[in-house]
Amino acid sequence: MLEVRNLTVSFPDETERIEAESVNKAVKGISFSMKRGEILAVIGESGSGKSMTALSIAGLLPETAASSGQIIFDGSDLMSLTKKERRIIQGRDISMIFQEPMTSLNPVMKVGKQVEEVLLLHTDLDKAERKRVVLQALEDAGLEQPEKLFYSYPHQLSGGMRQRVMIAMAMILQPQLMIADEPTTALDRRIQDQILTLLKEINEKKQMGILFISHNLEVVKDFCDRILVMYEGELVEEGTPEEIFHHPEKEYTKRLLASIPEGKKERSTDQIDRKKVLLVEHLNVYYPEKGGGRKQVIFDANFAIYEREIVGLVGDSGGGKSSLSKAILGLNICTDGLIQHYTEYPQMVFQDPYGSLNPVRSIGWILEEPLRIQRKLTKKERREQVQDILKRVGLDRTYMDRRPSELSGGQRQRVGIALALILKSRFIIADEPVSALDVTIQAQILSLLKELGREYGLSYLFISHDMAVIHEMCDRILRLEDGRIYEEK
Amino acid sequence: MKQIGKKTITLIITLLLISFAAFLAFQVIPGDPSLSVLGMDATEQQIAAYQKQMGLDRPMPVRYVSWVWDFVRGDLGDSYHYGTSVGGLLGDKLPVTLALTAVSFLFILGLSIPFGILMARFADTRFGRLVNVVNQTLMSVPSFFLGVLLILVFGLMLKWFTPGEYISYRESTTGFLLYLIAPAAAIAIPKTAMVIKFLRSSVLEQRKKDYVRTAYSKGNTDNRVLFIHVLKNSCIPVITILGMIIADTMAGSIVVEQVFNLPGVGRLLVSSIGYRDYPVVQAIIVYIASAVVIVNFIVDMLYRLADPRIREE
Amino acid sequence: MRYFGKKNTALTAGILISAVLFAVMLIGVFYTPYESSKMNGAEKFMAPCARHLMGTDNFGRDIFSRVLEGLGTTFFVAVSVTLFGSLFGVLLGAITGYFGGILDEILMRMNDALVAFPSILLALVFISILGNKVYQIILALGIIFIPSFARIVRGEFIRQKELDYVKSARLMGAGHFRIMFFHILPNTLPALLSAITVGFNNAVLAEAGMSYLGIGVQPPDASLGRMLAEAQGYLFSAPWYALYPGVVIILLILGFSLINEGLGA
Repeated sequence: MLEVRNLTVSFPDETERIEAESVNKAVKGISFSMKRGEILAVIGESGSGKSMTALSIAGLLPETAASSGQIIFDGSDLMSLTKKERRIIQGRDISMIFQEPMTSLNPVMKVGKQVEEVLLLHTDLDKAERKRVVLQALEDAGLEQPEKLFYSYPHQLSGGMRQRVMIAMAMILQPQLMIADEPTTALDRRIQDQILTLLKEINEKKQMGILFISHNLEVVKDFCDRILVMYEGELVEEGTPEEIFHHPEKEYTKRLLASIPEGKKERSTDQIDRKKVLLVEHLNVYYPEKGGGRKQVIFDANFAIYEREIVGLVGDSGGGKSSLSKAILGLNICTDGLIQHYTEYPQMVFQDPYGSLNPVRSIGWILEEPLRIQRKLTKKERREQVQDILKRVGLDRTYMDRRPSELSGGQRQRVGIALALILKSRFIIADEPVSALDVTIQAQILSLLKELGREYGLSYLFISHDMAVIHEMCDRILRLEDGRIYEEK
Repeated sequence: MKQIGKKTITLIITLLLISFAAFLAFQVIPGDPSLSVLGMDATEQQIAAYQKQMGLDRPMPVRYVSWVWDFVRGDLGDSYHYGTSVGGLLGDKLPVTLALTAVSFLFILGLSIPFGILMARFADTRFGRLVNVVNQTLMSVPSFFLGVLLILVFGLMLKWFTPGEYISYRESTTGFLLYLIAPAAAIAIPKTAMVIKFLRSSVLEQRKKDYVRTAYSKGNTDNRVLFIHVLKNSCIPVITILGMIIADTMAGSIVVEQVFNLPGVGRLLVSSIGYRDYPVVQAIIVYIASAVVIVNFIVDMLYRLADPRIREE
Repeated sequence: MRYFGKKNTALTAGILISAVLFAVMLIGVFYTPYESSKMNGAEKFMAPCARHLMGTDNFGRDIFSRVLEGLGTTFFVAVSVTLFGSLFGVLLGAITGYFGGILDEILMRMNDALVAFPSILLALVFISILGNKVYQIILALGIIFIPSFARIVRGEFIRQKELDYVKSARLMGAGHFRIMFFHILPNTLPALLSAITVGFNNAVLAEAGMSYLGIGVQPPDASLGRMLAEAQGYLFSAPWYALYPGVVIILLILGFSLINEGLGA
């Protein structure tokens, strides 16, 4: 049904500035094919060219991109079609869903109208028929009360519902190929599974081929028929999930597999004779609401964290994990109950390494700032300490003069960790420290955290939505559910 | 609905604040108005009698309340300079200024929307960039200088209208409106350029959004994406600056009336400031500020209507 | 913050125009070809020529010299007003935005009431209270310009204070003052710069508009707005008299709005 031959995508505009020989090719001549009704997964990290491949097939490449090669779909070469001929296929034979369900729908247009638009563009159905078909599609996508939904705006829907609307839109004309570009990445784990199940169902019922783009090998394991692994614009390996997972041939694939957290770590339980670093008793946390009221998010939390242990904190997003961690560190004033710290300067490693470092300051300035504030050292001593800590997290001294924007995500997170350690803190809250990073980088940061933990005798409260990561890292797990803390046995 | 109630209360409070500010401002002014009416060599008795007659001898809060109450009832007091009622003075000039503001505003709306879209459509071309430069320059022309230029080119050189020969709306409505074209253009052109620029960058920004990609993936044409999807989203932020534009348009009319010799509120204000004719100045300030606040209130409601995300709250 | 790395035509053109005007203005402070208020009955309404670059006016005064002096006045007023307004605006905006609460609420209500007045109207009122010497005009306009700066800085502070780097600074033990002025303030610089260029232009417009109405800077100080008003009577016979001051005002505003445009890109 689909055959991609020697596809190349590049951005000539940007190459002017980068050196001429290293032409900025996003996709470097890849070829693959796809059968009718097949689910094909394309796996790769950011910058691997997987999204550009998807956009080329969908005909949605940005105008600055230049592409060559052939994309044979249903016997005709999509690359040689005019814009007009292409539009007939778009939405009817090839549809697409995207990573961000929150922004992929038009915010000022009713949901029903947006789904209906596909019918309006490609069929001669009259208004009543169109509405009937739309309602049916919404229902098929697992949405309840389609009639009400038809007249809703996107902001009234949850992320999962919006992605279902996108799916309804993408399957309404039963296209032969649906391209799904990281469709579950922005969603909660639970919703993620539901969406995958739905896609699988549609695939089986309607014989619709799915080209599934993801950075996460694990997600596609039980889902797809075949896997393509991409790295830096090239096709690295191709095979069935069985082959890829159990008999990977290429080095890169093995690295990808290795970066999947294994889980199941030896749990130590001898906390009785250890010293506490944190004691929380009868803690209530409130969230101030617009208009002066406040909403309670944590009810009567009781727990302790001991020396040298890593405690996981899990729970649904929006369930109050961040509020709890802020409360523990005294960043939230709406609390009552006891929060007792036994160590100095408890610190935090933040989820988003882009926002947690002051963008206008140099790395050196940022790392030196805590020492300046504490006024204990001379300028020279401060510089030395900063260099030491940088070295410890795997960055050399040249980074001191750089701005956060000149660093990669992984490097920034290393600086974030250095910042948490520079005051010799012994208790650190890590709030989703790796969820914004690429998988291979994730593994590096996790092992750095573990290593530093052992070396300095740190205790972590480790927040994550990824159970595999939690199981690999943590000695104990706290579960936050409906605002209450449960210890997992 | 709850929001509308809240907004209405805020509106009333703001109006009261404005009136209080306007009242207070003229309490602390150095220079006694009785002197400017009676002359420097007035006797103390004369001044006392005048103050009693004008009610200036009562305590300040009492004067404020009675002033506001009179104002609400439509009694704006008497002019120190002309001796006639302020209401009568304003009633004569108000239609001129209102008409000028309205025509200017219509110019702005009528020109900026089509041109803004057109400029966004051709933003990446050489022609688009050229037009952008022209637009940027137009934005920088002060309305009073533009007025002078219009008089020079269209009045004196091309003789399309006779500068200074104002036609009253009482004489001929058509003549009046025709005479308003040049001053309205002087006010509207720089503002139009501003709205165009704003709309253009809004469209360009919206075009990068994810939902646009979704729309293309459905097989929409460029024009359909622009007009059905992008345009409404782009106009929402533009609505928020309309209030400011209207305030600017009114301010512009104060100066431009002077350029074109239009007997409107603006010229009355300028001359009244010269005469220290405070009741007139006070009335005009409260009138303009209230108009701006009320227009902003309406714009805010429009904004709510246009954006479903805010309508909910 | 890396504005200067890339080719930025708008910024370059804006800086060029502003720099040339600034240089011309500086020269005008020390040297003008003629004494700006010296009348010469024999040389009334001379068209621009080698002796009088921009011609002469109805009293035979050299327009070029008067434009130089007027430019100086306008520049001085606009720069002072912008400095005054931004200084107090930043303080007010930083405090209200960072701490929020009742003080913020009250100041914002006052701000709402204040922005309801078109700025030129407000300026006229203040001038009629304070008087119309140069320093009084600066004070009046300066006060009027505070809210616009305060509002922008406040908005930036509200946005920035929620970011993780501020939390991180708090965890280090940084005090409020340090967080406000060492951590957050440098991050508001792009928005502040843009506000300053816009504010400068509005100050130029307000000053010129007021002196056009005859309420601004008083003679014998030359001012571009007043020249324009005087020139209007001789528009047909001596159009250059009106054109030159007008064009200078346009260039002054254009320069800064191009800089603003360039900074935004």
